[in-house]
Amino acid sequence: MARDVLIDLRHITKVFPPDTVALSDVSVSFESGEIHALVGENGAGKSTLMKVLYGLERRDAGDIFFRGAKVEFRTPREAISAGIGMVHQEMLLIPEYTVWQNIVLGAEPVRAFGAIDVHRAREAVRQKIEEFQFNLEPDTLVGDISVAARQKVEILKLLYRNVSVLVLDEPTAVLTPQEIPQLFSELERLRDKGHTIIFISHRLDEVLTLSDRVTVMRRGKVVGTSAASDLTKEDLARQMVGREVLFTSQRQPQEPGEMVFRAQGLNCSDTEHRARLHDATIDVRAGEIVGVAGVEGNGQFELVNAIMGLAPMTSGALEVNGKDITRADILARRALISFVSQDRGKMGASINASILEDAVMTHHILDPGFSTWRGLGLNYRRAVVFTEQIRTQFSVSMSGVRDPFRSLSGGNQQKVILGRELLLETPFVLMDQPTRGLDVGSIEYVHQLLLDLRSKNRAVLLISADLDELFTVADRIVVMCQGDIVADLATDTTSREEVGYYMLGGKEAEHAETGS
Amino acid sequence: MNVLFGLFSAMLIGATPILLAAIGGTFTFYAGIFNIAMEGMMLVGAFCAVLGSFFLHSWFLGILCAVAGALVMAGIFVLFAVRLHTDEFLTGIALNLFAVGLTTFLLRDIFHVKGAFTDAGIRAIPAVKLPLIDGIPILGRLLSGYNAIIYVAALVTVLAAFVIFRTRFGLRLRAAGYNAVCLSSSGVPASTIRIWSLIVCAVCCGLAGAYLSLGSVRLFAENMSAGRGWISLTAVILVSGNPWGIAIISLLFGFFDGLTVFLQGSRIPTQFTAMIPYVATLVSLYLYSVRKRRQA
Repeated sequence: MARDVLIDLRHITKVFPPDTVALSDVSVSFESGEIHALVGENGAGKSTLMKVLYGLERRDAGDIFFRGAKVEFRTPREAISAGIGMVHQEMLLIPEYTVWQNIVLGAEPVRAFGAIDVHRAREAVRQKIEEFQFNLEPDTLVGDISVAARQKVEILKLLYRNVSVLVLDEPTAVLTPQEIPQLFSELERLRDKGHTIIFISHRLDEVLTLSDRVTVMRRGKVVGTSAASDLTKEDLARQMVGREVLFTSQRQPQEPGEMVFRAQGLNCSDTEHRARLHDATIDVRAGEIVGVAGVEGNGQFELVNAIMGLAPMTSGALEVNGKDITRADILARRALISFVSQDRGKMGASINASILEDAVMTHHILDPGFSTWRGLGLNYRRAVVFTEQIRTQFSVSMSGVRDPFRSLSGGNQQKVILGRELLLETPFVLMDQPTRGLDVGSIEYVHQLLLDLRSKNRAVLLISADLDELFTVADRIVVMCQGDIVADLATDTTSREEVGYYMLGGKEAEHAETGS
Repeated sequence: MNVLFGLFSAMLIGATPILLAAIGGTFTFYAGIFNIAMEGMMLVGAFCAVLGSFFLHSWFLGILCAVAGALVMAGIFVLFAVRLHTDEFLTGIALNLFAVGLTTFLLRDIFHVKGAFTDAGIRAIPAVKLPLIDGIPILGRLLSGYNAIIYVAALVTVLAAFVIFRTRFGLRLRAAGYNAVCLSSSGVPASTIRIWSLIVCAVCCGLAGAYLSLGSVRLFAENMSAGRGWISLTAVILVSGNPWGIAIISLLFGFFDGLTVFLQGSRIPTQFTAMIPYVATLVSLYLYSVRKRRQA
């Protein structure tokens, strides 16, 4: 299959001031009518490279050729009118607008006096939906449709502008396992109609299933481009990380011990008095990792808030090591629960504080050894020793303990937080999406840490949107859907498909299968 | 009967400046700008209207001057809040305070008076007799013969509803408020839309100011906008920007404003009657929040 080179990126270099080299002499060519995957760890430069192409980032050196001619896109608008469109990771749609309004925004057909030609706009959108078999209704509000459908709206928005090249930045990150095959068949259909698709991902299985060719990037450089059929998952991982990565779970069989954490019949309502958590009951034993699966926004947030005492419950009981903490204040809970929140920069740490200050948070109250003058002052010498302990024990790479927390990379920030929490030596550990936004190497580290906790007989409750993660470390998986716990499955006897089925609420999953 | 007619016309007269300023404010509201500078734009407009009308001997040029004055205020807002990304609230406060100081200073410097300036040389905006309707017995008396700006205000309301909900500009305007990044990535810079919304706001506030000083009276008094810009902000926020809702709130306020004038002759002290519009605003805020809580 000899295809023409459509986009040629030659010797692209991009330096973020003062001295972070995001892209160094990157050359890639994309052929017309192919699905080309761009893979690499976070920070490898995949997104930056695409942003340079798309006119969102300036480059410092190198040339871009499109259809054989040298081009220079200064804004996304110029890229789109030339025929290159990008779907961003965070979807940019207006929930208050209907599907067709979102699609035509910025390129609206008008009649006299600038009035929108609603009929023509709606028909054009309907025609595009039919042409690409997207199964959308033009008049529904975007706020009422699923994440997968929103993604289709984003893609249609670009197709409406007649782009021939689609760049998708981690499109599967927000989808459930059931929704992914449908996206893939749509993308394949687009390719067969002659579109070129550039697909950014770090999920190796997907890359191998979907793409024709794969380019691997590492630390701002291209490692190589090869046909997907010549590659195995292990090859890709080695190229991405630069060393061997083990995919097989090292979870050894282990009998769980005593009951450590028990949540009984938790009920929570949101500010508008809709129940967001109904009768949630979860038990975690010592030496056991229990995973919580579910599409985001199905009660996980409320569950975490209820356990940590961040929001009032309407009813229910909480217990750690036989101690009732239903009405305990947050500090009393923190003496029993290590908590890694999903938002590193807001709840997990203060990004403008120093690494040392973030490291001793909570410890400085619970451990009187950190205070001087009866709690009026902080024992800095002890705090420095403690921070150094986190640095060595959790292999954090930082230049100094007094540097601002935000100067650390995402993986190192998470290591500091994990270190702080795990050194609390509590019987129960609550982790809310601990690997979100981390690169493959750091994710592997966190998983190893979780398994170590398990062998040290700590009880762990792990909330995650990543099924692979749950299947790697969890002993049991409970599934949440619309505030209910709908399933409690042993990892060894269940499958991703079964978990996915419950995530979509069973019935809806059946509907989606027959509907597509 | 005469009392009713009087009350009705007082309602329209009281409602007009608030309606105009609030319609202007709703454009910036939809564009996602927290704009509180209507008060200052209106005051500068009122002053420039007198200035233009007095020196150029034309009410029409007076109106143009009012709009130009308000546009200068909008220009300052654009420079600071849109271009330099300063805080919109602080910029608005600064502009409102600046407007009071500037007009008071210019009043003393140009006209050499304190408090208020009035002169026979100031041309007022004429009243308009509506053709056809003027001939109909009761309806004619009810609707015809008002100041030209009042009809302009009614027209502006209808136009605003059309522009905001039916046109391309309106779709982009609301998009700027809902999700500016989305609009910009769709190829329309949100800052351009915001600048246009401020221009529309300034034109409306300029008209409101011209009505204050050249409408039923022909004078400029220090701080003569007297909080009407703030009331218009209340109206905008109360109905989440809907032009028809704004019209109703403005008429309600105009009615209570008119009521104050009627009660002045009665035995109730004027200090209390002057409170009526503001008390009405508070009561409507209360009723609104109660209704909103019931819906939830």
